[in-house]
Formats: sequence, structure tokens, C-alpha cells
Amino acid sequence: METLLLTVYVLIWPVIVAGTLYVISRGFFKEWAESRREGRSII
Amino acid sequence: MLGAHLAWLASGGLAMNERNGMTHENADFYQLSGWTVILLLVLFYGGTLLMSAFIGKKKENADGYMTAGNKLGFGISAASMTATWIWASSMYASATSGYTYGISGPIHYGLWGALMILFIYPFGRRIRAVAPKAHTLAEVMYVRHGRSSQLMLAGSNVVGSLISLTSNFIAGGALVALLSPFSFGQGVIAVAAGVLLYTLWSGFRASVLTDFAQVLAMLGAVVVIIPAVFFAAGGPGMFEAGAQNLTPEQSNFFSSEAFLNQGAPYIAAVLAYAIGNQTIAQRLFAVREDLIKKTFVTATVGYGATVIGVGMLGVMALYLGLAPAGGDLNNLIPQMASTYLHPILLGVFLIMIIGALSSTADSDLSALSSIMMADVYGQTVGKDKANAKTMLLVGRVTMIVATAAALYFASGQMSILDLLVFVGALWGALVFPVIASFYWEKVTNKAFTVSVVVALATFLPVRFGWLPMDGAIGIVFDVISVVGIGVVLGLMAFGFFGLKWAKIIAAAGAIIAAPFAIGNLHDYAVLSGSLVAYAVSTVVCYLMSARSTMNFDFDTIKQRIGDFDPDEAATSTADSDVAGHTAALK
Repeated sequence: METLLLTVYVLIWPVIVAGTLYVISRGFFKEWAESRREGRSII
Repeated sequence: MLGAHLAWLASGGLAMNERNGMTHENADFYQLSGWTVILLLVLFYGGTLLMSAFIGKKKENADGYMTAGNKLGFGISAASMTATWIWASSMYASATSGYTYGISGPIHYGLWGALMILFIYPFGRRIRAVAPKAHTLAEVMYVRHGRSSQLMLAGSNVVGSLISLTSNFIAGGALVALLSPFSFGQGVIAVAAGVLLYTLWSGFRASVLTDFAQVLAMLGAVVVIIPAVFFAAGGPGMFEAGAQNLTPEQSNFFSSEAFLNQGAPYIAAVLAYAIGNQTIAQRLFAVREDLIKKTFVTATVGYGATVIGVGMLGVMALYLGLAPAGGDLNNLIPQMASTYLHPILLGVFLIMIIGALSSTADSDLSALSSIMMADVYGQTVGKDKANAKTMLLVGRVTMIVATAAALYFASGQMSILDLLVFVGALWGALVFPVIASFYWEKVTNKAFTVSVVVALATFLPVRFGWLPMDGAIGIVFDVISVVGIGVVLGLMAFGFFGLKWAKIIAAAGAIIAAPFAIGNLHDYAVLSGSLVAYAVSTVVCYLMSARSTMNFDFDTIKQRIGDFDPDEAATSTADSDVAGHTAALK
């Protein structure tokens, strides 16, 4: 049981990181597409 | 941040690796070939240079150079907050914490660092509401109080950013020396030149845009590297085979040793770094006002998961019974990567660290240039008389001079890292006066300045053990520290729940902590020093302000702080320039 918990404890962080990366990337590409549609710089 | 990763640097950190002969331990590490490293660095810095060229303009806007026009979207600003907050040192220190304190170690490093971002967003919203067009926090303090408070914030940030820049260059040089045939000096110069090249022309705009690519590299690498090392090192079996390598404290997720030595000093430092540091303030002034909460919450999760995840390398090293090469804990992460990763993933690891240190280094350059542009040049000649072209020149020259200075410090000519503890203490002492200055109209310049100076003067003997703490003096400082606990908890609660709950939580926190803290806390000099700085600056600032007749009108800040360069073309509709650059790239 303890081994399983420790395994989850170590491997959960890359999963959360992947989720965060997805959220940030989705936001970035959405803004990029919007700025292209509106003919302006993203920043 | 007094107790946090900066303090780790001050107490040794990466700077010591080279000086103590870290590169002599190279035999313990698998090395990438020279051409592979050159290719990786060219790809990384070439890519970021290309990105910054894409948004670069022939005629940059001075305000855009500092805050990107105050309307950054969520994706870029969340990426930028995350990338800036994560630097090479946070990864190394988290792994060190895991190796030293066991399974709870990375939590006591990464969680509090992450919460730091979360706790300031309510203050961030207030700061933006009061000063929507500001470039630096020091600039706001000048209007709110005057020159002395501005100088405290600006001065501490100049030193703080130079230290951070230096340590990032050192980290890059040390890593290149470990994992390639190149020397420390060659690595430092490659990193410094790479960062300066892509940041110099467009300043903060380049910094935040390239942060997105750096976040992709860093977070993407973490997603792959942690499981790769885990399974290569034996998977779940390592926890059974290596359980005897841990002490009972290291095996305990609720270790009091880990909390008192690692976690608690961080909690005390949570607000200090976030409030005092210009790299964070700059992003606060840049993001679109309605996106502040979303951005900060995302960055909290991103930073926390990344840094805690990398810290798991230290926990794994502990279970595996791995001894750090040369006895140096800073070698742990490269050693784990070098031992368990395929050479291709080792290249990914190199890019992860280079991405982490570059994103923070470019933020430091942008912070330094903004301070020189807005607080030195802008305030000297006045907003209406400032010449945008001269201002941009000041910013770019600052970046070049700062890079040269950091190279000088990195070469070991002068140990600037020793100043770190004072910067951290100054930021800790500034927290209450700065926050109060945005909410309470009675805070005066005299109260602000005197409270910070007195807090610093009280901090020094506690932090450096100049006084015998084993008698009544120790008890007195413990009582002051308990007040500091109340102040920290109260400030955190105030941002979210308002003054009434802040007072209740502050009082309850201090009362609950008192029986445990009085008589013991002075044994933990780092923690005690931070708490004393918080307590003294708060009490002095409160007592001096409560009696004042000042009734500051916060609208004054909006009226007096605005754009230096009203040429709007550069911040939002740079179509012609972008089109030109795009064509040039094609």
C-alpha cells in the first residue's frame, strides 16, 4: 500500500504539469489565432 | 526572498560549485558531445531570437518595452509568470530539500513558493486598480510617498536582480561544464550572450513572449523526465529496496524537522519576495486587469507541480542511496539525469535547465531596464519631459551593463551573493508598509522609511546571532517573532477576506503559536530574523501612521503615473512592422 502511495505521490506531479501545460498552451494559441484574425501583433 | 531559494544560494548554492571544483567531478557524469551541446544551444537561443524578431519593431515603444502595453492575454501572461518564477535554483533546491528532509521535502519547498504567487493576486488587483498605468512598484511609491521609499524598492531590486542574473549565469556555466566538454566560463558566456541577444531589442515584450517557448521546454521536459528517471531507477521497487536509507523523520510526511527548517522560513518569506520583486510587479502591470486572478492561479499550479516534481528526483536519490558527487547536493539533479536518462533525454534535461535559467535571466534584465527607465530617467526628467528614444536607449544600455556586471560577478571577482540576505530582509521589512500604502491613506513617508530602517536594524542581530539568545533576550525576540507570525497570517488573510478576518486570524495564529514558539523560535535564526523584520516594520509603521493627519487621495496615483511614450502604434497595432519582419523571416 505504502509503495503504491509513494508511486502515485512521485508520478502525480508530471500529470499536473501536463494539465497546466495544456491550459497555458490552449490560451496562447487561442490568443495567437485571435490576433491573426484581427491583424494585430499578439503582444 | 530571505528564507527561500535565494537564501539557499547565499549559503552556498551553485556559485560554490565552480569555486569548489565541481568541474573536477565530471568523471561521474555522462557527457554530451560538444557538437550536440552547440546544436541544442543554437536551437534554443536561435528559436527564442527568432520569436523576439517576429514581434520586434523598428521603433519600439518605451512603455511597451517595460509593460507590453498593460494588456497581455492569459496564455502569455500565465506562461510568463510560471517561467519567471521557476529558475534553475528552484529546481536544484527542491531536489536538495527532498534528499535532505525526505518525502515531505519538495512539498516544503515548492508548495510555499507556489502559494506565494496565489497570496499576492488580491493585492495585485488592488495595485492595478490604484495604478493601472504603472511600470514599477517603486514608481508608485514615489508618487505615494516620495524619494526615500522609491529608492528602497528600486535599490533592493537592482541588487536583487543582479544577484539573480549572476546566479542564473553561474547555473548555466556549471551545467554546461558538467554535461559537456566545454568549460564553466564558456557556458556562462554562451548563456549570457543568448539571453541578452533576444531580450535587448524588444525588452519585456521579448521576455514574456519567449517565456511561452521556455515554459513549453521546461514543463514538457518535466512531464517526460520524472517518469523516465522513476522507471529507469527501478520503479516502485525502489521504495521497498531503499526504505532503510531513510531516517524516521525523512519517512514521515508530516516531519516537524522539515517544516521548521524548510517550510516555515518559506511561509514567512512568502509575501516578501512576491511584493518586493520587480519581475513579478512587472507582470502584474502587464496582464489585462480582468485576467489577473486566472493568470496567478494557473502560475501557482504550474510552478508548484513543476518544482515539487523535480524535487522528487531528490527523494528518489535518497531511496536509491545515491551519494551526491563530491558531496555537493547541487550535483544531485544532473547526477540523476546523467545516470538514468538516455542521451537524448539528457539533452532534453539540459534544455529544461537552460530554459528555466534563461526565462528568469531575461526577466531580470527587463526588470533592471524598467527601473532605470522609469525610476531613474523618468522620475529625474519628469513624465512629460521624458524622451521616449532616450528612455529606450537607457533601457538597452542598462541590459548591456547588467549583463557585463553579472559576467564579472559570475567569474568570481566579487561575491555579490553575500548581499542576498540583506535584500531578502529589506523586502521582508517592506511588505507591510508597501501593502498598507495601497489601502490606508494615513501611511506617511516618514512612517514607511523609519519602519523599514528600524526593522532592518532589528533583523541583523537576530539573523547573524550577534546577541546572546539563551536568556531574556531570546524570549523577547521570540515574543516579537510571535507578533511576526500574526502579521504574516493577517496579511495573507487580509488579501482574501478583508480587515476583520485578517485581525481575527492574526490574533488566533499568534495565540496558538505562542506556547510552542516562545523559548524555542530563536534557535531558528533564518525564520526568527524574517518574523522579527515583519513584526517590527508593521508595529512601527502602524504606530507612526495611526497618529498622522495624512489623508492621501489614491486618485493622485492614477493622475500622475501614465505612459511615457504615448505613441500607441507600437503597443497594439504594429502591423506594418510585424508584416515587415514576417516577410524578412520568410
